[in-house]
Amino acid sequence: MKKTLPWLLWTWLSAVILAAFFYAPISAGFAGLAGDSPQSSRIVFFHVPMAVTSFIAFLVAAWWSVVYLRRRTPEADRASAAAVEVGIVFCVLATVTGAVWAQVQWGDFWNWDPRQTSIALAIVFYAAYLTLRSAIEDPETKARISAAYCALGFFVAPFLFFILPRMASFSLHPKPASAEFEWRILIVVLGGIIGYSGLFFWMHRLRCRSLAIEERLMESFDDDR
Amino acid sequence: MWRDICIWLAETATIFNKEWRTELRTRYALNTVGLFAFTTLVTTTIALGPAGISEPARPFVVVLLWMILLFAASAGLPRTFVHEEESRTAMALRLMARPSSLFCGKALYNLVLIFSLELLVAPLYIGVMQLPIGSMRHFVLALLVGGFGLALGSTLTAAMVAQAEAKGPLFAVLAFPILLPLLKFAIDATLAATADQSLLIARGEVALTLGILYDGTLMVAALMLFPAIWNP
Repeated sequence: MKKTLPWLLWTWLSAVILAAFFYAPISAGFAGLAGDSPQSSRIVFFHVPMAVTSFIAFLVAAWWSVVYLRRRTPEADRASAAAVEVGIVFCVLATVTGAVWAQVQWGDFWNWDPRQTSIALAIVFYAAYLTLRSAIEDPETKARISAAYCALGFFVAPFLFFILPRMASFSLHPKPASAEFEWRILIVVLGGIIGYSGLFFWMHRLRCRSLAIEERLMESFDDDR
Repeated sequence: MWRDICIWLAETATIFNKEWRTELRTRYALNTVGLFAFTTLVTTTIALGPAGISEPARPFVVVLLWMILLFAASAGLPRTFVHEEESRTAMALRLMARPSSLFCGKALYNLVLIFSLELLVAPLYIGVMQLPIGSMRHFVLALLVGGFGLALGSTLTAAMVAQAEAKGPLFAVLAFPILLPLLKFAIDATLAATADQSLLIARGEVALTLGILYDGTLMVAALMLFPAIWNP
Protein backbone atom coordinates (compact mmCIF):
# COMPACT_ATOMS: atom_id res chain seq x y z
CA MET A 1 0.00 0.00 0.00
CA LYS A 2 2.84 2.39 0.95
CA LYS A 3 4.45 1.86 -2.48
CA THR A 4 1.16 2.10 -4.37
CA LEU A 5 0.16 5.51 -2.98
CA PRO A 6 3.02 7.52 -4.59
CA TRP A 7 2.29 5.82 -7.92
CA LEU A 8 -1.39 6.68 -7.61
CA LEU A 9 -0.42 10.27 -6.83
CA TRP A 10 1.91 10.54 -9.82
CA THR A 11 -0.76 9.06 -12.11
CA TRP A 12 -3.37 11.52 -10.77
CA LEU A 13 -1.03 14.52 -11.18
CA SER A 14 -0.03 13.42 -14.72
CA ALA A 15 -3.72 13.13 -15.62
CA VAL A 16 -4.41 16.62 -14.19
CA ILE A 17 -1.50 18.16 -16.14
CA LEU A 18 -2.60 16.44 -19.37
CA ALA A 19 -6.22 17.52 -18.74
CA ALA A 20 -5.07 21.11 -18.17
CA PHE A 21 -3.64 21.21 -21.69
CA PHE A 22 -5.85 18.84 -23.71
CA TYR A 23 -9.20 18.43 -21.94
CA ALA A 24 -10.13 21.75 -20.33
CA PRO A 25 -11.18 24.57 -22.66
CA ILE A 26 -9.85 28.09 -22.34
CA SER A 27 -12.02 30.16 -20.01
CA ALA A 28 -13.79 32.84 -22.02
CA GLY A 29 -13.35 35.36 -19.21
CA PHE A 30 -9.64 34.69 -18.69
CA ALA A 31 -8.89 34.41 -22.44
CA GLY A 32 -10.33 37.90 -22.87
CA LEU A 33 -8.02 39.16 -20.13
CA ALA A 34 -5.01 37.42 -21.66
CA GLY A 35 -5.25 39.45 -24.89
CA ASP A 36 -3.09 38.01 -27.67
CA SER A 37 -2.09 34.89 -25.67
CA PRO A 38 -5.30 33.12 -24.63
CA GLN A 39 -3.39 29.84 -24.08
CA SER A 40 -1.53 31.51 -21.21
CA SER A 41 -4.78 31.46 -19.19
CA ARG A 42 -4.16 27.72 -18.68
CA ILE A 43 -1.79 28.74 -15.91
CA VAL A 44 -4.92 28.96 -13.76
CA PHE A 45 -4.80 25.11 -13.54
CA PHE A 46 -1.45 25.37 -11.73
CA HIS A 47 -1.63 28.75 -9.97
CA VAL A 48 -4.97 28.28 -8.15
CA PRO A 49 -4.31 24.71 -6.87
CA MET A 50 -0.83 25.74 -5.64
CA ALA A 51 -2.23 28.77 -3.79
CA VAL A 52 -4.95 26.63 -2.19
CA THR A 53 -2.38 23.92 -1.30
CA SER A 54 -0.12 26.49 0.38
CA PHE A 55 -3.08 27.67 2.46
CA ILE A 56 -3.82 24.04 3.43
CA ALA A 57 -0.13 23.59 4.34
CA PHE A 58 -0.19 26.61 6.66
CA LEU A 59 -3.40 25.34 8.27
CA VAL A 60 -1.70 21.96 8.84
CA ALA A 61 1.31 23.79 10.34
CA ALA A 62 -0.96 25.74 12.72
CA TRP A 63 -2.79 22.53 13.68
CA TRP A 64 0.48 20.72 14.55
CA SER A 65 1.68 23.79 16.47
CA VAL A 66 -1.43 23.69 18.64
CA VAL A 67 -0.90 19.93 19.09
CA TYR A 68 2.69 20.65 20.18
CA LEU A 69 1.58 23.32 22.66
CA ARG A 70 -0.86 20.84 24.22
CA ARG A 71 1.25 17.66 24.21
CA ARG A 72 4.86 18.93 23.84
CA THR A 73 5.95 16.01 21.64
CA PRO A 74 8.91 16.41 19.23
CA GLU A 75 6.86 14.68 16.48
CA ALA A 76 4.33 17.53 16.51
CA ASP A 77 7.12 20.12 16.34
CA ARG A 78 8.70 18.34 13.36
CA ALA A 79 5.30 18.05 11.63
CA SER A 80 4.67 21.78 12.08
CA ALA A 81 8.13 22.81 10.82
CA ALA A 82 7.87 20.41 7.86
CA ALA A 83 4.43 21.78 6.91
CA VAL A 84 5.77 25.36 6.91
CA GLU A 85 8.81 24.40 4.81
CA VAL A 86 6.75 22.55 2.18
CA GLY A 87 4.02 25.21 2.37
CA ILE A 88 6.54 27.94 1.54
CA VAL A 89 7.59 25.95 -1.56
CA PHE A 90 3.95 25.86 -2.77
CA CYS A 91 3.46 29.52 -1.83
CA VAL A 92 6.54 30.53 -3.85
CA LEU A 93 5.32 28.41 -6.80
CA ALA A 94 1.88 30.09 -6.60
CA THR A 95 3.62 33.50 -6.55
CA VAL A 96 5.84 32.62 -9.53
CA THR A 97 2.97 31.23 -11.63
CA GLY A 98 0.94 34.32 -10.70
CA ALA A 99 3.83 36.57 -11.72
CA VAL A 100 4.13 34.80 -15.09
CA TRP A 101 0.40 35.38 -15.66
CA ALA A 102 0.81 39.01 -14.54
CA GLN A 103 3.54 39.54 -17.13
CA VAL A 104 1.23 38.29 -19.90
CA GLN A 105 -1.86 40.10 -18.68
CA TRP A 106 -0.56 43.32 -17.10
CA GLY A 107 2.82 43.61 -18.85
CA ASP A 108 4.86 43.33 -15.67
CA PHE A 109 5.86 40.46 -13.37
CA TRP A 110 5.16 42.42 -10.19
CA ASN A 111 2.58 45.20 -9.78
CA TRP A 112 2.03 45.36 -6.00
CA ASP A 113 -1.53 44.28 -6.63
CA PRO A 114 -3.31 43.63 -3.25
CA ARG A 115 -3.24 39.86 -3.82
CA GLN A 116 0.44 39.89 -4.78
CA THR A 117 1.18 41.96 -1.69
CA SER A 118 -0.74 39.64 0.63
CA ILE A 119 0.93 36.47 -0.72
CA ALA A 120 4.34 38.17 -0.38
CA LEU A 121 3.46 39.00 3.24
CA ALA A 122 2.45 35.38 3.87
CA ILE A 123 5.87 34.25 2.56
CA VAL A 124 7.57 36.83 4.81
CA PHE A 125 5.56 35.61 7.84
CA TYR A 126 6.52 31.96 7.37
CA ALA A 127 10.11 32.82 6.39
CA ALA A 128 10.24 34.71 9.71
CA TYR A 129 9.07 31.48 11.40
CA LEU A 130 12.06 29.62 9.90
CA THR A 131 14.39 32.47 10.93
CA LEU A 132 13.02 32.25 14.48
CA ARG A 133 13.72 28.51 14.55
CA SER A 134 17.29 29.04 13.44
CA ALA A 135 17.80 31.77 16.10
CA ILE A 136 17.10 29.49 19.08
CA GLU A 137 19.52 26.72 20.04
CA ASP A 138 17.74 24.86 22.83
CA PRO A 139 15.40 22.31 21.12
CA GLU A 140 12.57 22.66 23.68
CA THR A 141 12.59 26.48 23.61
CA LYS A 142 12.84 26.44 19.82
CA ALA A 143 9.83 24.13 19.49
CA ARG A 144 7.73 26.05 22.05
CA ILE A 145 8.38 29.58 20.76
CA SER A 146 8.09 28.66 17.09
CA ALA A 147 4.86 26.73 17.77
CA ALA A 148 3.41 29.86 19.39
CA TYR A 149 4.48 32.02 16.43
CA CYS A 150 3.03 29.52 13.95
CA ALA A 151 -0.25 29.36 15.89
CA LEU A 152 -0.31 33.17 15.79
CA GLY A 153 -0.25 32.78 12.00
CA PHE A 154 -3.64 31.09 12.28
CA PHE A 155 -5.03 34.37 13.68
CA VAL A 156 -3.17 36.66 11.24
CA ALA A 157 -3.70 34.56 8.06
CA PRO A 158 -7.41 35.43 7.53
CA PHE A 159 -6.49 39.13 7.49
CA LEU A 160 -3.60 38.52 5.06
CA PHE A 161 -5.43 36.14 2.72
CA PHE A 162 -9.04 37.39 2.82
CA ILE A 163 -9.48 40.89 4.29
CA LEU A 164 -6.48 42.92 3.02
CA PRO A 165 -6.91 41.93 -0.67
CA ARG A 166 -10.63 42.85 -0.51
CA MET A 167 -10.01 46.22 1.15
CA ALA A 168 -8.36 47.71 -1.95
CA SER A 169 -10.68 49.82 -4.08
CA PHE A 170 -8.96 48.50 -7.22
CA SER A 171 -7.34 45.17 -8.04
CA LEU A 172 -6.06 43.80 -11.33
CA HIS A 173 -6.35 40.22 -10.07
CA PRO A 174 -9.22 38.37 -11.80
CA LYS A 175 -12.08 37.48 -9.47
CA PRO A 176 -13.55 33.97 -9.79
CA ALA A 177 -17.00 35.49 -10.25
CA SER A 178 -15.82 37.62 -13.19
CA ALA A 179 -14.54 34.62 -15.17
CA GLU A 180 -16.89 32.33 -17.00
CA PHE A 181 -16.06 28.93 -15.56
CA GLU A 182 -17.20 25.95 -17.56
CA TRP A 183 -17.69 22.74 -15.55
CA ARG A 184 -14.69 21.07 -17.28
CA ILE A 185 -12.46 23.89 -16.01
CA LEU A 186 -13.81 23.49 -12.50
CA ILE A 187 -13.17 19.71 -12.62
CA VAL A 188 -9.52 20.22 -13.65
CA VAL A 189 -8.96 22.95 -11.03
CA LEU A 190 -10.54 20.73 -8.36
CA GLY A 191 -8.48 17.76 -9.59
CA GLY A 192 -5.39 19.97 -9.33
CA ILE A 193 -6.25 20.98 -5.77
CA ILE A 194 -6.68 17.31 -4.78
CA GLY A 195 -3.49 16.30 -6.62
CA TYR A 196 -1.24 19.06 -5.28
CA SER A 197 -2.66 18.63 -1.77
CA GLY A 198 -1.81 14.91 -2.04
CA LEU A 199 1.68 15.91 -3.20
CA PHE A 200 1.96 18.24 -0.20
CA PHE A 201 1.00 15.47 2.27
CA TRP A 202 3.48 13.06 0.62
CA MET A 203 6.31 15.65 0.73
CA HIS A 204 5.32 16.55 4.29
CA ARG A 205 5.65 12.91 5.41
CA LEU A 206 9.06 12.62 3.75
CA ARG A 207 10.27 15.88 5.34
CA CYS A 208 9.06 14.75 8.79
CA ARG A 209 11.06 11.56 8.41
CA SER A 210 14.18 13.40 7.23
CA LEU A 211 13.89 15.87 10.14
CA ALA A 212 13.64 12.92 12.57
CA ILE A 213 16.79 11.39 11.03
CA GLU A 214 18.59 14.78 11.23
CA GLU A 215 17.69 15.05 14.94
CA ARG A 216 18.88 11.51 15.67
CA LEU A 217 22.17 12.20 13.85
CA MET A 218 22.67 15.41 15.84
CA GLU A 219 21.98 13.55 19.10
CA SER A 220 24.47 10.79 18.28
CA PHE A 221 27.01 13.46 17.24
CA ASP A 222 26.53 15.20 20.61
CA ASP A 223 26.88 11.84 22.45
CA ASP A 224 30.16 11.11 20.63
CA ARG A 225 31.55 14.46 21.70
CA MET B 1 -14.47 35.03 41.73
CA TRP B 2 -14.13 38.70 42.89
CA ARG B 3 -11.11 37.77 44.95
CA ASP B 4 -9.44 36.24 41.85
CA ILE B 5 -10.18 39.35 39.82
CA CYS B 6 -8.75 41.57 42.58
CA ILE B 7 -5.59 39.45 42.79
CA TRP B 8 -5.24 39.54 39.01
CA LEU B 9 -5.63 43.33 38.95
CA ALA B 10 -3.14 43.73 41.80
CA GLU B 11 -0.59 41.56 39.98
CA THR B 12 -1.08 43.53 36.74
CA ALA B 13 -0.68 46.83 38.60
CA THR B 14 2.48 45.54 40.34
CA ILE B 15 4.03 44.52 37.00
CA PHE B 16 3.08 47.90 35.48
CA ASN B 17 4.63 49.79 38.42
CA LYS B 18 7.74 47.61 38.33
CA GLU B 19 8.18 48.30 34.60
CA TRP B 20 8.00 52.05 35.14
CA ARG B 21 10.31 51.96 38.17
CA THR B 22 12.90 49.98 36.16
CA GLU B 23 12.44 52.28 33.20
CA LEU B 24 12.82 55.49 35.23
CA ARG B 25 16.08 54.12 36.67
CA THR B 26 17.74 53.87 33.23
CA ARG B 27 15.28 55.77 30.95
CA TYR B 28 16.44 53.47 28.14
CA ALA B 29 13.12 53.08 26.29
CA LEU B 30 12.03 56.68 26.92
CA ASN B 31 15.28 58.10 25.53
CA THR B 32 15.46 55.67 22.61
CA VAL B 33 11.85 56.10 21.52
CA GLY B 34 11.84 59.88 22.04
CA LEU B 35 15.14 60.56 20.31
CA PHE B 36 14.36 58.18 17.45
CA ALA B 37 11.01 59.88 16.86
CA PHE B 38 12.55 63.35 17.05
CA THR B 39 15.40 62.47 14.65
CA THR B 40 13.08 60.92 12.06
CA LEU B 41 10.67 63.85 12.40
CA VAL B 42 13.46 66.35 11.74
CA THR B 43 14.82 64.27 8.84
CA THR B 44 11.36 64.04 7.26
CA THR B 45 10.79 67.78 7.61
CA ILE B 46 14.17 68.62 6.10
CA ALA B 47 13.60 66.14 3.23
CA LEU B 48 10.07 67.33 2.40
CA GLY B 49 10.61 71.02 3.12
CA PRO B 50 8.90 73.38 5.55
CA ALA B 51 6.46 74.92 3.05
CA GLY B 52 3.63 72.54 3.81
CA ILE B 53 2.24 69.84 1.58
CA SER B 54 0.22 69.72 -1.59
CA GLU B 55 -2.91 67.56 -1.83
CA PRO B 56 -1.29 64.78 -3.95
CA ALA B 57 1.46 64.43 -1.32
CA ARG B 58 -1.00 63.96 1.59
CA PRO B 59 -0.98 60.11 1.50
CA PHE B 60 2.84 60.05 1.63
CA VAL B 61 2.86 62.37 4.63
CA VAL B 62 0.32 60.17 6.47
CA VAL B 63 2.32 57.01 5.66
CA LEU B 64 5.48 58.73 6.93
CA LEU B 65 3.76 59.56 10.24
CA TRP B 66 3.02 55.86 10.79
CA MET B 67 6.53 54.87 9.69
CA ILE B 68 7.96 57.23 12.34
CA LEU B 69 5.66 55.72 15.00
CA LEU B 70 6.40 52.11 13.92
CA PHE B 71 10.17 52.46 13.85
CA ALA B 72 10.30 54.52 17.04
CA ALA B 73 8.27 51.78 18.75
CA SER B 74 10.54 49.09 17.24
CA ALA B 75 13.57 50.87 18.68
CA GLY B 76 12.35 50.92 22.29
CA LEU B 77 9.76 48.20 22.81
CA PRO B 78 11.81 45.02 22.12
CA ARG B 79 13.51 45.55 25.51
CA THR B 80 10.27 44.56 27.28
CA PHE B 81 11.28 41.00 28.27
CA VAL B 82 14.96 41.13 27.37
CA HIS B 83 15.87 42.88 30.63
CA GLU B 84 14.54 39.98 32.74
CA GLU B 85 16.23 37.34 30.57
CA GLU B 86 19.59 39.18 30.69
CA SER B 87 19.51 39.87 34.41
CA ARG B 88 18.29 36.28 35.06
CA THR B 89 15.23 37.46 36.98
CA ALA B 90 12.72 35.89 34.59
CA MET B 91 12.18 32.93 36.92
CA ALA B 92 11.25 35.25 39.80
CA LEU B 93 8.74 36.94 37.54
CA ARG B 94 7.31 33.54 36.53
CA LEU B 95 6.80 32.68 40.19
CA MET B 96 5.42 36.06 41.17
CA ALA B 97 2.65 36.60 38.61
CA ARG B 98 0.36 34.53 36.47
CA PRO B 99 1.12 34.82 32.71
CA SER B 100 -2.04 36.76 31.80
CA SER B 101 -1.45 39.49 34.40
CA LEU B 102 2.24 39.63 33.47
CA PHE B 103 1.37 40.09 29.80
CA CYS B 104 -1.29 42.71 30.55
CA GLY B 105 1.05 44.63 32.89
CA LYS B 106 3.82 44.69 30.28
CA ALA B 107 1.39 45.51 27.44
CA LEU B 108 -0.09 48.34 29.53
CA TYR B 109 3.41 49.77 30.07
CA ASN B 110 4.09 49.62 26.32
CA LEU B 111 0.66 51.13 25.66
CA VAL B 112 1.42 54.15 27.86
CA LEU B 113 4.80 54.49 26.13
CA ILE B 114 3.22 54.39 22.66
CA PHE B 115 0.40 56.79 23.57
CA SER B 116 2.94 59.23 25.06
CA LEU B 117 4.95 58.95 21.86
CA GLU B 118 1.84 59.64 19.77
CA LEU B 119 0.91 62.56 22.02
CA LEU B 120 4.37 64.03 21.45
CA VAL B 121 4.85 63.26 17.76
CA ALA B 122 1.38 63.70 16.22
CA PRO B 123 0.79 67.39 17.13
CA LEU B 124 4.39 68.28 16.20
CA TYR B 125 4.04 66.45 12.89
CA ILE B 126 0.69 68.05 12.07
CA GLY B 127 2.12 71.50 12.86
CA VAL B 128 5.41 71.09 11.04
CA MET B 129 3.96 69.38 7.95
CA GLN B 130 0.81 71.55 7.97
CA LEU B 131 -1.25 68.39 7.62
CA PRO B 132 -4.95 69.29 7.38
CA ILE B 133 -7.26 67.34 9.73
CA GLY B 134 -10.80 66.93 8.41
CA SER B 135 -12.12 64.97 11.36
CA MET B 136 -10.17 65.23 14.63
CA ARG B 137 -12.32 62.48 16.22
CA HIS B 138 -11.37 59.98 13.50
CA PHE B 139 -7.73 61.06 13.64
CA VAL B 140 -7.52 60.46 17.40
CA LEU B 141 -9.37 57.13 17.05
CA ALA B 142 -6.94 56.01 14.32
CA LEU B 143 -3.99 56.83 16.60
CA LEU B 144 -5.60 54.97 19.53
CA VAL B 145 -6.45 51.85 17.50
CA GLY B 146 -3.04 51.80 15.78
CA GLY B 147 -1.20 52.45 19.05
CA PHE B 148 -3.10 49.71 20.90
CA GLY B 149 -2.23 47.13 18.22
CA LEU B 150 1.40 48.30 18.07
CA ALA B 151 1.74 47.85 21.85
CA LEU B 152 0.08 44.41 21.86
CA GLY B 153 1.96 43.06 18.83
CA SER B 154 5.28 44.41 20.10
CA THR B 155 4.80 42.96 23.59
CA LEU B 156 3.99 39.50 22.20
CA THR B 157 6.88 39.58 19.73
CA ALA B 158 9.26 40.85 22.42
CA ALA B 159 8.33 37.87 24.62
CA MET B 160 9.34 35.48 21.81
CA VAL B 161 12.48 37.37 20.82
CA ALA B 162 13.73 37.58 24.45
CA GLN B 163 14.39 33.82 24.39
CA ALA B 164 16.31 33.85 21.08
CA GLU B 165 19.73 34.97 19.84
CA ALA B 166 20.20 38.14 17.71
CA LYS B 167 17.25 39.83 19.42
CA GLY B 168 17.34 43.22 17.66
CA PRO B 169 17.15 42.13 14.01
CA LEU B 170 14.82 39.24 14.89
CA PHE B 171 12.25 41.60 16.45
CA ALA B 172 11.89 43.49 13.16
CA VAL B 173 11.67 40.24 11.16
CA LEU B 174 8.94 38.76 13.41
CA ALA B 175 6.96 41.92 14.16
CA PHE B 176 6.74 43.26 10.59
CA PRO B 177 4.28 40.66 9.19
CA ILE B 178 2.18 40.79 12.38
CA LEU B 179 1.92 44.58 12.47
CA LEU B 180 1.55 45.25 8.76
CA PRO B 181 -2.21 44.51 8.45
CA LEU B 182 -2.78 46.78 11.45
CA LEU B 183 -0.66 49.54 9.90
CA LYS B 184 -2.69 49.27 6.69
CA PHE B 185 -5.93 49.79 8.68
CA ALA B 186 -4.42 52.65 10.71
CA ILE B 187 -3.02 54.41 7.62
CA ASP B 188 -6.36 54.11 5.80
CA ALA B 189 -8.22 55.50 8.82
CA THR B 190 -5.73 58.37 9.24
CA LEU B 191 -5.92 59.18 5.52
CA ALA B 192 -9.71 59.37 5.76
CA ALA B 193 -9.45 61.59 8.85
CA THR B 194 -7.18 64.06 7.05
CA ALA B 195 -9.62 64.37 4.15
CA ASP B 196 -12.76 66.40 4.64
CA GLN B 197 -14.98 64.20 2.47
CA SER B 198 -17.87 62.12 3.76
CA LEU B 199 -17.14 59.22 1.35
CA LEU B 200 -13.55 58.94 2.56
CA ILE B 201 -14.65 59.26 6.20
CA ALA B 202 -16.99 56.29 5.62
CA ARG B 203 -14.04 54.27 4.20
CA GLY B 204 -12.03 55.33 7.22
CA GLU B 205 -14.72 54.02 9.54
CA VAL B 206 -14.50 50.61 7.82
CA ALA B 207 -10.72 50.69 8.31
CA LEU B 208 -11.19 51.68 11.97
CA THR B 209 -13.64 48.81 12.53
CA LEU B 210 -11.19 46.36 10.94
CA GLY B 211 -8.42 47.83 13.08
CA ILE B 212 -10.47 47.26 16.23
CA LEU B 213 -11.19 43.70 15.02
CA TYR B 214 -7.46 43.13 14.46
CA ASP B 215 -6.62 44.53 17.91
CA GLY B 216 -9.22 42.19 19.45
CA THR B 217 -7.82 39.23 17.52
CA LEU B 218 -4.28 40.07 18.67
CA MET B 219 -5.48 40.38 22.27
CA VAL B 220 -7.20 36.97 22.19
CA ALA B 221 -4.19 35.36 20.45
CA ALA B 222 -1.78 36.93 22.93
CA LEU B 223 -3.74 35.79 26.01
CA MET B 224 -4.01 32.27 24.58
CA LEU B 225 -0.39 31.94 23.44
CA PHE B 226 1.55 33.91 26.03
CA PRO B 227 1.43 31.21 28.75
CA ALA B 228 3.06 28.79 26.28
CA ILE B 229 5.70 31.35 25.31
CA TRP B 230 6.51 32.35 28.86
CA ASN B 231 6.43 29.04 30.77
CA PRO B 232 9.04 26.40 29.83
